[in-house]
Amino acid sequence: MNILVCVKQVPDDYAEIRLGGDGKPATAGAGTVNNAFDTYALELAVRFCEAHGGSVTAVTIGPEGAQSGLKNLLAVGAGKAYLCAASGEADEGGTAALLARAVELCQEREGAAYDLILCGKESTDEISGQVGARLAERLGAAFVSGVVEAEPSGDGLKARQETEEGGVVYEMSLPAVLTIAKPAYDPRYPNIKTKMAARKAVIPVLELGAAEPALVSCLGYSEPPKREAGVVIQEKEAAEAVKKAVVMLAEANVL
Amino acid sequence: MKSLVYIERKDGRPVNGSLEALAAAKALGEACGVVIGAEAGAEIAPYAPVIAIDAAPACDDEVVALLEALIREKTPDAVLFSATQAGKDYAPRLAQRLGGGCVTDAMTLSAEGNALLATRPAYGGTVYEQMKVIGPVKFATVRSGCFVRPEAGEPNPVETVPLSAPGGAVKAKVVETVTEITEAIDLEGAEVIVAGGLGMGSAEGFHLVEEMAALLGGVVGASRPAIEGGWVSRAHQIGQSGKTVAPRLYIACGISGAMQHISGAMGSKYIVAVNKDPDASIFKVADVGIVGDALTILPLMMDEIRARKGL
Repeated sequence: MNILVCVKQVPDDYAEIRLGGDGKPATAGAGTVNNAFDTYALELAVRFCEAHGGSVTAVTIGPEGAQSGLKNLLAVGAGKAYLCAASGEADEGGTAALLARAVELCQEREGAAYDLILCGKESTDEISGQVGARLAERLGAAFVSGVVEAEPSGDGLKARQETEEGGVVYEMSLPAVLTIAKPAYDPRYPNIKTKMAARKAVIPVLELGAAEPALVSCLGYSEPPKREAGVVIQEKEAAEAVKKAVVMLAEANVL
Repeated sequence: MKSLVYIERKDGRPVNGSLEALAAAKALGEACGVVIGAEAGAEIAPYAPVIAIDAAPACDDEVVALLEALIREKTPDAVLFSATQAGKDYAPRLAQRLGGGCVTDAMTLSAEGNALLATRPAYGGTVYEQMKVIGPVKFATVRSGCFVRPEAGEPNPVETVPLSAPGGAVKAKVVETVTEITEAIDLEGAEVIVAGGLGMGSAEGFHLVEEMAALLGGVVGASRPAIEGGWVSRAHQIGQSGKTVAPRLYIACGISGAMQHISGAMGSKYIVAVNKDPDASIFKVADVGIVGDALTILPLMMDEIRARKGL
């Protein structure tokens, strides 16, 4: 199966992003990583192909600097990678349109169609979770969100979606777009050999052109209302600290 | 602004989040609920006028097709969903089909002329974005706990609309539904929540959280490490990838206070934190913090509370 994994580069989600002096999220100091859910998607794709055969291609829309993120993916199992350049501010619909164009261009270069397109279920920066669903609609493909397992089924695919109650297993024909939640395993680490090979790889850059006019725009930012920090009790004797705390809870009438 | 609100049902009842979305829509202007199943209309009528789609869709693809047909027929200015897993699937799919913009996890909503304005969280909840959605039909999913569900009143009119999903609508077929988690957990409606995280150390340690919750008549919550450790089911998760809660009392045990978690509990009236790291960020939002190992502190605290309650 030919699998394309769409990967977004985001500010490192281990860093706490606050507003900077200009009133915008201060992301510059955070460092850039591949979106965590997208790395789960890549690992799921690589495992799928190890078990059932096929190829895994990663694609990112982003600036020249996004090359390094794609190289990291080549070091953990992606067979190929494409960087796509686009101009203008894209909303989720615009991003899906650009990705649809990227799919088309990648397919032209490969001379083969993708059977399966994977996205993370959401990105850790915008957390809007729309792009996968919109891309599926755009491509007229089957869609299942929040998938944690996938396997071939006849000419099609079986995928297990994680739900609050457990799971739902879907069967679909291809092509399909799946968004991937956190599976039971973690993405693999690169080793020296795969890292060296990835570093040497030449990643083709595809021009997507301008984003469609956005229907959703950001007017400004604010920070969540601050909570006043209260009393922090630190005592040598745990029992002493607990006594003090429970007195305070009783006085606050919350017990 | 004229809105339709998709009312999601679970166990034969409208989910709270959908009723909250209905409240959000009422504040925008004329609001009408949309429910699937002719018999379900009467359930929603006490809250708002309702359109009951007379159909029995077998899967999400059919639901999306039915809603698409209804939206095309009714031409609302906005369509709202609760920001549940289903709502977050339907809204962008329909927005794509109808050429509309969509915002996820709206915490506030207002109309400005023909545009829809929304506040939503980004970056794990450390930043709020003010969004503007334009276009003939605007979509939003509404975050739970941000609007007060309307009171039930005299029944409003129910319009029953027979619709059927066009052939070929189904691309992904449900072949099996696996129910692993049968416990009904009402975190959103809870008065008291006792939540545990990494600091509980093990499934055994996590039992202390459960014991404390039982003692206080509260509900058990958890941060992601406790879920990933398999100590408690993900139905208990609070935070960006779980529930947004607003209890009277929130006790965070062995939780460091990463924004991804605490953003889901910021609405709590009173926060108590137990953590062995005095620099843990949870202490910056707690009303009362105890520096200490939750495994030591919790049993002592339960003894103290029992003594006070005369138990």
